Amino acid sequence: MRLDEIAIVGVGVTPQLKRSDRNSLQVALDAAKLALADAGLAHTDVDGIAARWPGPGGTVLAPGSADWSTLLGIPLGWIGDSYPQGIPALVDAAGAILTGQATTVLITGGQAGVLGGGRVAAYTQPGNEFVEPFGAFTAAHFALVAQRHLARYPHARQGMAEIAATIRTVGSANPDAVMAGRGPYTAQDVLDAPPVVDPFTLLDLCLASEGGAAVVVTTLERARDLPHPPVVLLGAGMDWMRQQYVDPARYEQVWDIGAVAARKAFAQAGIGPADVDTAQLYDVNSLEVARQFEALGFCGPGEGTDFALATGIGLDGKLPTCTDGGLLAFSHIGWGAPTLKLAEAVRQLRGQCGDRQVAGAEVAIAAGAGSGAQYYNLALLGRAR
Amino acid sequence: MGVDAALTGPAAGLTDAFWAAAGRRELVRPVCRACGRSFFTPQIACPGCLSENWAYEPSTGRGRVYSATVVHKPPSPGFVVPFRLGIVDLDEGWSMLAELVGGPDGRLPAIDAPVRVTWTERDGRVLPAFTEDGVTS
Repeated sequence: MRLDEIAIVGVGVTPQLKRSDRNSLQVALDAAKLALADAGLAHTDVDGIAARWPGPGGTVLAPGSADWSTLLGIPLGWIGDSYPQGIPALVDAAGAILTGQATTVLITGGQAGVLGGGRVAAYTQPGNEFVEPFGAFTAAHFALVAQRHLARYPHARQGMAEIAATIRTVGSANPDAVMAGRGPYTAQDVLDAPPVVDPFTLLDLCLASEGGAAVVVTTLERARDLPHPPVVLLGAGMDWMRQQYVDPARYEQVWDIGAVAARKAFAQAGIGPADVDTAQLYDVNSLEVARQFEALGFCGPGEGTDFALATGIGLDGKLPTCTDGGLLAFSHIGWGAPTLKLAEAVRQLRGQCGDRQVAGAEVAIAAGAGSGAQYYNLALLGRAR
Repeated sequence: MGVDAALTGPAAGLTDAFWAAAGRRELVRPVCRACGRSFFTPQIACPGCLSENWAYEPSTGRGRVYSATVVHKPPSPGFVVPFRLGIVDLDEGWSMLAELVGGPDGRLPAIDAPVRVTWTERDGRVLPAFTEDGVTS
């Protein structure tokens, strides 16, 4: 079997909300049911799972963790025991299928019932002894990278604001987005919003919201018998600098994080950046979008914001980016958020996106994490031929 | 999630000496006795040569700002905003995250500005902080 014989056949995204009255396990199960229904499969067809929480060991050593085999009433051939989500989960699932451990893998996760109102979300506050006492929440780590970039390329600040305004305006028009109907936004709105951590204002930064997201992965052979046009894995890559949010991210080390991963993924796919029709980048903040254009080879160093403006990243641009409104306006559900990127990429490639559909989309990027997090991964997905 | 307790978290006591020194308002850092490298955060072995033969040694507390920002939203109750946060590269070749305090006009130090260690207290704990060297201080 080849990589592009691995297919995503089901997508499930629960309602995304500022605050949910359900809990994380419930929304993960909700998303799983939606993804299986979308795939035309029953839960008894699943024989591999990457889900919150881990399997056998987790139940014993992490009290309160779920036992998915019991929950779904099925034996499993493979379990992602470290709760991978998004691209790492897809790569793990592909590995499990390619090595014969499973045929149909469910990836599901998310968060709910965990956010308090008005404060910096608890999951964005690293508990490390050399981080927490200094008040360095996750956005501050990205800010310390951004400050060095802006010292070198001060004009990028205006481009960041344009990027945030574009993605947030796209999200405002998506009725399923947490920020539906809240726009449109101008770059000036972004610059004038309350500052959170320099250089970022509230509108430069992603949401912290609640909901679940899931996808179902199987072989292309099986996918041919299922309801939707199969979307296959063309290539993937993962770069890892160090554990996130402990030793602070150094600009020179992390600004192009993802470059090696992207070269690998494009080589596997046999295509280049110019072949990408839509980019579901990991928009934890406005500058990260520009950074990914540089790291992934769409443009040269320092040209990310200029590339975004010249190319057009809105729905009417040449490279529609974060077409659901992204983490900035659609939703950010913690560790489950990267799976939202897979979901939107698949829906675009199937042609299911209605008003936000990218006409004729054949190749999409889905990505996760970024410079301040000190790791990055991406997948190239395409319509099966 | 890690499920093997033996592989989670720092080794017991790995950072006790750092905080004990901080309590005396002394800045220390791990120095490898095999290869001479200073490193931070503390690890069970030197990240340069993987030797476990290292010890805390005093730092001059002098260095330069690698990056700096202003935090406007309190990370949790108890933080007074705005405050300044920076990554400082110490002269001995290691670096750490810390609050930036004082300094000329209370301004945000520029990248590469020289700073020296000073001390603050939060929740009864003494924390290293850094202050920009003024022309007269």
